Amino acid sequence: MSALPIDLALAWDSLPAMFRGLTTTLLVTVLVLAFGLVLSIPLTLARISPRRIFAWPALLFIVFFRGAPLLLLLYFVYYGFGQIPALRDGPLWIIFGSSFACAVIGLTLNHMSYMVEVVRGSLEAVPAGLTEASEALGLTPRETFTWIRLPLAMRYGLKAYQNEVVMFTKGTAVVSVITVVDLTAVANEIFELTYDPFTPMLTAAAFYWVLVNLIRVVFRALERYLNRHLTAHEDRSKPANSLPQPTPVPSSIARWKASRSLGVPAKGQAL
Amino acid sequence: MTAMIDYQRIAPAPATAPRPVAVQMTGVDKFYGRFQALSGIDLEVRKGEKIVICGPSGSGKSTLIRTINRLEPHDGGRIVVNGIELDGSPGKTQDVRLEVGMVFQQFNLFPHLTILENCILAPRLTRGLSKKAAEQRAFRYLERVQIGSQAHKYPSQLSGGQQQRVAIARALCMEPPIMLFDEPTSALDPEMIKEVLQVMEDLASDGMTMICVTHEMGFARRVATRCVFMDNGQIVEIAPTEQFFHDPRSERLREFLAQILH
Repeated sequence: MSALPIDLALAWDSLPAMFRGLTTTLLVTVLVLAFGLVLSIPLTLARISPRRIFAWPALLFIVFFRGAPLLLLLYFVYYGFGQIPALRDGPLWIIFGSSFACAVIGLTLNHMSYMVEVVRGSLEAVPAGLTEASEALGLTPRETFTWIRLPLAMRYGLKAYQNEVVMFTKGTAVVSVITVVDLTAVANEIFELTYDPFTPMLTAAAFYWVLVNLIRVVFRALERYLNRHLTAHEDRSKPANSLPQPTPVPSSIARWKASRSLGVPAKGQAL
Repeated sequence: MTAMIDYQRIAPAPATAPRPVAVQMTGVDKFYGRFQALSGIDLEVRKGEKIVICGPSGSGKSTLIRTINRLEPHDGGRIVVNGIELDGSPGKTQDVRLEVGMVFQQFNLFPHLTILENCILAPRLTRGLSKKAAEQRAFRYLERVQIGSQAHKYPSQLSGGQQQRVAIARALCMEPPIMLFDEPTSALDPEMIKEVLQVMEDLASDGMTMICVTHEMGFARRVATRCVFMDNGQIVEIAPTEQFFHDPRSERLREFLAQILH
């Protein structure tokens, strides 16, 4: 037995199974992210709508699914729907009878309700002046949304969205509780077969780590592409005073930080 | 001297048939909560007139100009623009906005679009122009504000004065009969103010109907047919430019002019 807690031969042998698990993880991730992105925009618009008939159901949806524990949500979707005879005998059973589809549904409900806050914050960060300029040019509110507010919100929200995607990708591990064989489930199976507690888990961890960093690289490329209007400064020594600029640090915080680094006691602090 | 000649050339002769009305405001009120931003505004602007609105900050100048294309909905009175009454319906609002171009203090160029894309977006969407036709038109107006060679840059790559000239070109690409300017030079460095005023004077000499909120009194004297003085949400005095500067009727305007004209 080697000093390392890792059995390299076992790790090597488990690679094909790990890749199969990774495929499932990726499939769940991509599907849920795609559904979440498409569905969260109308849900956000409903949430911020001045009309209560849209805003209240959206708020109810968000409050419920953000609050619902993800594990229990998956249990309810997978085991709960099977208790409804009409559903069990109906044509939709193709969906609700599949653990994979149930995982996608449960995760999408959860992911959407988080995404609403990301989308909402990004839309609110678009300067009102740009919306006004667009409307003054005679664009309808819908055209203004499509051509001005949404493209700019995408840029403002990219960082927050990246966080959400990374957290979510790692969080897909919960689908193993409803019998979906993802990367974590594969690692667990190998553990149960070999009683080696380290090798399969660390192998899976390496897979997750690579996946998350690939996501980071993709986002970085996307950010560069979307923000080319800000990086096109090579021929100018000082940045032009264009709107919108990122929000500056509030001066009180800056002062507080400065006072801390200089060893000056902050306001209200006893000497 | 030139100011007088310009003024007389542009001013409509009262004896002949009056020009058609471009903007008619009657008894317009506007409230922000309990604060009354505009009270009983009566203003009639005829086609081809150049109106300069001035007054101390908080007097309602910007609010007034923004009610004309309903960026601020008014709470009382009537506003009719080129025969279209702003009654709050989305259709009428849209129609009026197609008649009225606007230039803002902060330029408000779309930062994610190039200069050219900024200029062709609205003509393509609202006037149904082809990409080619819209680009031709955009280049015509960009050349006019002397910025054609920068068409493929992004707004952040231009100076403030250049950005404001693009904003003017963007509004002109819609070929509106009426233009509103909301303190177009207030956010600019002094050396850039001139280039923007030059473009505006050029427009004025073309017969465009212009309503302009500005603190540039030299510009007002050279270009305006009439000047409006506002205070506390009311029009205190409205007079032909010559009379406005040399023979103000109200005490409040005399004080204001004494303060800003040194």
